[in-house]
Amino acid sequence: TTLRLSHQWSTSDVRHKVAQIVADYVEQANVDLKIQIYPTHSLFKAKEQWQPVSRGQLDMTVFPLAYAGGVHPEFNLTLMPGLVKSHDHAARLDNSEFMKEIKKIAEDDGVMVLVDGYLAGGFAGKDKCITSPADVQGLTTRAAGKAFEQMLAAAGASIASMASSEIYNAMQTGVLQAVNTSSSSFVSYRIYEQAKCFTPAGEYALWFMYQPLLMSKKSFERLNAAQQKALLEGAKKAEAFYLEEAKKEDAEATEVFKKNGVEIANMTKEQFLAWRELAKQSSYKEFVKAVPDGQRLLDLALAVD
Amino acid sequence: MIERFIRFADRLSLASGVLAAAMIAVSILVVCEMIVVRYLLDRSTIWQTEFVTYMMLSATLVGMPYVQRLRGHVNVDLLPHYLGGRARAVLATAVLLLSLGVAGLFAVYGYGFWHEAWAGDWKSDTVWGVRLWLPYAAVPIGFALYSLQLLADLLGLLAGRSRPFDLPDKPLGEPSGGPAGQ
Amino acid sequence: MELDPLTLGALVGVTTIVVLFSGISVAIGLILVSIGFLALFDFNHWQAIAWLPETLFAELNDFALLSIPMFILMGAAVASTRAGSDLYEALERWLTRVPGGLVVSNLGACAIFSALSGSSPATCAAIGKMGIPEMRKRGYPPEVAAGSIAAGGTLGILIPPSVTMIVYGIATETSIGRLFLAGALPGLLLVVLFMAWAIFDTWRRGAGEVLTPTVYSWGQKFASLIRVIPFLLVILGVLFALYGGVATPSETAAVGALLVLLFAVAIYRLWRVRDLWVVLRDSTKESVMILLIIGAAGLFSHMLSSLFITQTVAAWIGELQVNRWVLMGAINLFLLVAGFFLPPVAVILMAAPVLLPIVLAAGFDPYWFAAVLTINMEIGLITPPVGLNLYVINGIAPDIRLQTILRGSLPFVACMVLAIIILCVFPEIATWLPEAVMGPVIQ
Ligand code: NA
Ligand code: NA
Repeated sequence: TTLRLSHQWSTSDVRHKVAQIVADYVEQANVDLKIQIYPTHSLFKAKEQWQPVSRGQLDMTVFPLAYAGGVHPEFNLTLMPGLVKSHDHAARLDNSEFMKEIKKIAEDDGVMVLVDGYLAGGFAGKDKCITSPADVQGLTTRAAGKAFEQMLAAAGASIASMASSEIYNAMQTGVLQAVNTSSSSFVSYRIYEQAKCFTPAGEYALWFMYQPLLMSKKSFERLNAAQQKALLEGAKKAEAFYLEEAKKEDAEATEVFKKNGVEIANMTKEQFLAWRELAKQSSYKEFVKAVPDGQRLLDLALAVD
Repeated sequence: MIERFIRFADRLSLASGVLAAAMIAVSILVVCEMIVVRYLLDRSTIWQTEFVTYMMLSATLVGMPYVQRLRGHVNVDLLPHYLGGRARAVLATAVLLLSLGVAGLFAVYGYGFWHEAWAGDWKSDTVWGVRLWLPYAAVPIGFALYSLQLLADLLGLLAGRSRPFDLPDKPLGEPSGGPAGQ
Repeated sequence: MELDPLTLGALVGVTTIVVLFSGISVAIGLILVSIGFLALFDFNHWQAIAWLPETLFAELNDFALLSIPMFILMGAAVASTRAGSDLYEALERWLTRVPGGLVVSNLGACAIFSALSGSSPATCAAIGKMGIPEMRKRGYPPEVAAGSIAAGGTLGILIPPSVTMIVYGIATETSIGRLFLAGALPGLLLVVLFMAWAIFDTWRRGAGEVLTPTVYSWGQKFASLIRVIPFLLVILGVLFALYGGVATPSETAAVGALLVLLFAVAIYRLWRVRDLWVVLRDSTKESVMILLIIGAAGLFSHMLSSLFITQTVAAWIGELQVNRWVLMGAINLFLLVAGFFLPPVAVILMAAPVLLPIVLAAGFDPYWFAAVLTINMEIGLITPPVGLNLYVINGIAPDIRLQTILRGSLPFVACMVLAIIILCVFPEIATWLPEAVMGPVIQ
């Protein structure tokens, strides 16, 4: 049996490596199972992968769950400022009551989670450091994720929506003055060439995005017991790798920015709390307003220590 | 009867062409507005990129029948050039039938796709959060209108109102006008 | 059915050729082939087909595509005014003493117009409408008149802005601003080669006595310059928006379109609703045609990718271990042949995703390759059976036979081949400007 796995990143990205670990594991398990990986959105466009995997047209995908936030608004909680505090906190969240609810929504739509994983990110400023809400006042900013855009708008930034491939150019020409995205995107789009200051995901970080390896339940149920077992074992191995690598990504991004002469600024606890207060007034509020069961889910998430 | 249907399809295609052109015109203004808002006023631009993207997408799909009516879809009429009268007519019929099949298939499956978005109240994952059934509607509508125009062309061909591939009975080697002629 | 991807790839190739030669529209033909192969060979068969409308939607759901209708509209708006003939008249008054001055002026006008239009047929039409009759009136043979405009028009996609560069940028995820710059100097190189040929050709024919140059006073010369200024302003405005931090490349296109429309209304009095509708209609027609091919080519490459053909073919070519210049020669030959039959946008969308990884692995620059690929596509625009510029010339001068146009454009095709060779020897012609303006390349 051959399974098709699609994702949007290049083969050097950590998320590709996670998929590759699972693929290698099941191949070595000798259970007549092969995973064919389609990187760099060569099969489906990045945001177009949820429906195919939920219908079984696509077997597996590494997918930022919030991309499907328009179909299941509850998923927007997986890209919410200040909800996740650190990678270890993220790992505890994975097994919480809150994630059980999220995963149930996914399962009801025919999708199961094979590998949990969060990636973190930070800010880059063209002319100055961005650590507290006051720093983005009046800047044209592009954020990855609508909850972050809502929070930044509340802080007085103007939000410019554009594709991530346009960020470099927009930073260079001055269309954008600040960017908020993942550590790996900062490196792969070489934003360090255009930034004066970088705020990494350090002791305090706002930006965490849940990007699990998903599988179509239909495809999973078609497999025999040995194949399912191999897949789950491979997933377990990949999950440990994912957590370790996610932590390394942040350190590596900081290193790359430093090497390129970019100033590094760290967010303090007070600043983090100020952002979160702002998020509560903006993104959290909008979320609760838009999702019927929103308050309960939010409380469940906030309850995880 | 056939005459009336062809005239009906013709008018419908013209209307869709006007609509497509209007969407392109509106997009120019919206993008310029966005640049002014962002560059001169330093304010957020939340809906413009998405709006314009959906406008272009809809203009393309809704514009299909009109471009078909103007014979503006570029093609390679190599085989038709080498074929004589009867064979050319058969090929033209087959090509129109196949095109009609494709357009019909897309209209039907496109409707299912639209219906899902409508029933599930899907929204785009942006701050603007537009209801996706709105832009999705361009797929079934565009292909349904395109099917009508193709059907009108097919009937026109069978009724002898137009030549196969609109080719004149000229010797080989002459360009036939048509695509992209402005 | 189970077939290995290479065999399947060959089968797709042959089928596509047969289907497209049937006279079906390129877009629908590509969709038809995709449907057929997915239904037969995808493990999900018909379920895979049900997915195609959503894939088409996703392919077209891209903000960058906006720039295509905008840059086409820019060209169509100028083309609908007297601006094109003003432009070549101004050049002609200054170049009247140069042998073949009128041809050189027309080529120059094509080059300047190319900086206002993203599309080749539009450039061809704008300059040719006045240029071809004028050249023939003054005694230039029809093949020179038609050939030079057909070839000059192809500059529309090499000199920025360029619709095909945008499509290449989307397909390969390279920077559109950088691609535009990469086309600028190769475009100038082509203009110089074209003009050199025109001058040589006129001198060779000894056409001096037939083609007596009209004499212009200095007053007339400067008066003609004034009417060219609006163009230069628009070009400067677009460049400022593009590289001055006002807008992203896709947005700039809309600024350009608005500027040109405003100039057309203010200076050339294009304010009758009927005239504006003609501009809008023509650009809608060309844009929809191109955008639909983009969507269809997206489905086609989705099919190729689904059946693992793209990946297998790329790996297969990579393993051939041929000399990189032999490889580049083969790629050029492939592009040239594909260009004979298909419009540039379709070739780029189908070939770029397969070719670019190979080209990069062989150590070539993606922006340099874009320039080389574009020149190949330019050749395709003036060769039958699908040569968009040939149709345009045919529309302007229906009495000139296709063979005559072809005979006239053949020397220019030779210039383009020469330009590709020069680019291979001196890749800096393409890579220097983007690096000077925008810094070293980001991969
Ligand atoms: Na151009
Ligand atoms: Na051609």
